[in-house]
Amino acid sequence: MSRSPFGLDRSTVRDAVVVAGTELRAQYRHLRNDLRQGLATAFSLAMFGLFVPLFVLGSAVEFGSRLAAGSVPLGTAGVASAALLVVSGYVGAAGGFNQKRLGNVGPLVRTSVPPLAVSLSRLLDRLVQSLLVLVPACLLLLAGVAVGAGGVFAPVLVVAWALPVLAAGLFVGRAIGSLARYLNEWLGLSLWLKAALVLTLAVGSYVGVMLVLTNQFGTTGEFGGVAIPAFLPGRPLQAYGALAFAPLGAAPGPVGALVAVCLLAAVPLGLVTALRVETRILLTDFGGEENAAAVTRGVPRPFGATPSLRVAWRYLLRTRRDPRMLAHLAPLLFGAFGLVASAVQDPESLLFSGPITLFVGGVTLAGAAYCLNPLGDDRDQLPLLLTSTASTAVLLRGRALAGTALGLVPAAVIAGPVSAVSFSPAFALGQTLLAVVLSLAGSGTALGLGAIAPKFERREAMGVERPHPSNIAVFGLLFGGIGVGLAGLGLVWWTLSGASLAIVGIAWVVYLLVVSAIGAAGYAYALRTFDALTLDDV
Amino acid sequence: MSDSAAIAARSLSKRYGSTTAVDGLSFEVESGVVYGFLGPNGAGKTTTMRMLTGLIEPTGGEAFVAGTHCTDRERLVDRIGLLPEQPPLYEELSGREQLQFAADLREIPWSAVEDRAMGLVEDLGLAEDVDRRIDGYSKGMRQKVAFVQAVQHDPAVVFLDEPTSGLDPRAARTLRELIVDLAAGDTTVFLSTHILPVVEEIADRVGVLYDGRLVSQGSPEELAGAVEGEDGEADLEDAFLELTDAATPWGR
Repeated sequence: MSRSPFGLDRSTVRDAVVVAGTELRAQYRHLRNDLRQGLATAFSLAMFGLFVPLFVLGSAVEFGSRLAAGSVPLGTAGVASAALLVVSGYVGAAGGFNQKRLGNVGPLVRTSVPPLAVSLSRLLDRLVQSLLVLVPACLLLLAGVAVGAGGVFAPVLVVAWALPVLAAGLFVGRAIGSLARYLNEWLGLSLWLKAALVLTLAVGSYVGVMLVLTNQFGTTGEFGGVAIPAFLPGRPLQAYGALAFAPLGAAPGPVGALVAVCLLAAVPLGLVTALRVETRILLTDFGGEENAAAVTRGVPRPFGATPSLRVAWRYLLRTRRDPRMLAHLAPLLFGAFGLVASAVQDPESLLFSGPITLFVGGVTLAGAAYCLNPLGDDRDQLPLLLTSTASTAVLLRGRALAGTALGLVPAAVIAGPVSAVSFSPAFALGQTLLAVVLSLAGSGTALGLGAIAPKFERREAMGVERPHPSNIAVFGLLFGGIGVGLAGLGLVWWTLSGASLAIVGIAWVVYLLVVSAIGAAGYAYALRTFDALTLDDV
Repeated sequence: MSDSAAIAARSLSKRYGSTTAVDGLSFEVESGVVYGFLGPNGAGKTTTMRMLTGLIEPTGGEAFVAGTHCTDRERLVDRIGLLPEQPPLYEELSGREQLQFAADLREIPWSAVEDRAMGLVEDLGLAEDVDRRIDGYSKGMRQKVAFVQAVQHDPAVVFLDEPTSGLDPRAARTLRELIVDLAAGDTTVFLSTHILPVVEEIADRVGVLYDGRLVSQGSPEELAGAVEGEDGEADLEDAFLELTDAATPWGR
């Protein structure tokens, strides 16, 4: 039997191919039998494999024409290979880090084939899935290059140039993701600390990229109509481009050759590292940290008054014990990213944008936290819920109150005092009162959205597998929250600016009536829908 | 339907497209008895329990539980308790918090059920762990919390699906005794299980479901007496095997 130095023999590879093929078939059949999930997957494939590449198709055509003309655009080549490296590295790292479950055939596979074959099968499975997105995008861009160049020689060279970058990104990214996952398990950090680290990393990366872009854009080079330099990682990748496009007139150098060797060496190195780390993860018992905390907490006084408030408290308690309950709120963070980037560039802007962002984020959070998929989120507990109470009112109100309590922390408790300093005490008072109204109305609206598009099936998002809310509901509430929140703050500002009391009064009545009516209608619709829910609907 | 019937089903049916899960089921269960509901996998036991507890609606016939139509959830939920096969618990809560949550859902003050709930917790040997988080519980411990959750509000009818699943022999015996105590206190227990000795030991009446139809009903002794065992003396297992075999075309 032939065995490679890395411990991969034919039998292991054959087992891995069989397992990966079975897993992919199972996933395909699952998608085929679930119309909604199938459509969502098709949309994602179209989005990343078709629409995104269409945005840079013009640049690909231009790139091809310049290649054919013998003036190789090395600046563009450097940028494009850096982008490819980042994207493929991210895809690889995400695959390496998110390995909570072992597909549909997990327990059988674990006890039937060697651990190395299990690791390889997961890697192959993920690789095929990644290529399903990347290949159409690359083919589209290659077609653009071919059109620009007026022949197939240039696209062939582009393939030879891009393949090592793509492979190195995927496999090194995979190794980095696996190592991060190993460290994550090994360190045994609390869920909140992990969440804080991920957030810091995400915000830090975003701010870093923004600073690089704003500081270095516009000095040399050109890409997609935007003047940019050979920015990160710049010169070395340009030199690699010069080597790859030497047949078309570029001048190759030793740096380019060195980069090519590094890229080619990174592929097996990344693969072997990823396989070894992932196999080690499979064989190591890290122990669970979920079982550590072990105390019953009484319901604090403000939450003890009614059953709904006590239910609300238990949602907050569960969140404190497991922040993954809020994994679906990731889109809300994009707003925070922008705020942090602005603050880093201009710290004084925080006094103006800070309270406004906190207010809008808070009132959106009030609805988004627990109300966007109220009974889908409790899918496993439905037999208890549906046989314990004829009306889901206690549960829905509990969720709305929990969300409101959570949202009011940024929207009122933090934003209020900051507004008092930044604007005026009167503005802060108006903003705080408005936060209470909008948080309650937002919760009702979110309940309605959750009733229109309930999600009972589990899916993975942000590394957490549970019945996450519909993306349409999340984004609907997010954009609605921004619009309604800013309009409300505008009204507060208008009121305090000394405008006609009658006109301002009418505006307030209309605004509050509309907002309250939407919130009340959402709550009523959710109540009617979920009170009629049976397990037949799930 | 007799006045003392806690559960009464008349031609109860459930169809999913062209598949009939439960086919014209008719039976009555008297108040204060343990009714063993038996049947092979896929016979329709869980579907029947779900219809009787209002979790799904029948496509034909009707059923009454504690005098309430099974689709009248508003009145039904006050009279029933359910322990499904998969205990419906929140992993992040402790056992006590879970029981308090269940009381809040019913809008019953915890103080009104605390003595009964904690007494059951004590009986089941869970007192030391009741303040630990459920995600650290074994299968048996989860089953115990779910059992207490199903009966802490003193329902008129309690539906138990494989209640001894995952329990060690001592806990299983305690649970059997608690079920008998429940029936002695005039609670009707509808017990679905594959563990026939449990049914033989504690059930007053037994119904055998096969292919969505009730193929036999009676006391465990009546069912056993109706068949002949290998050594002359038949037990409930012999009766079950013969009934579910004879009901098939190839078994006749």
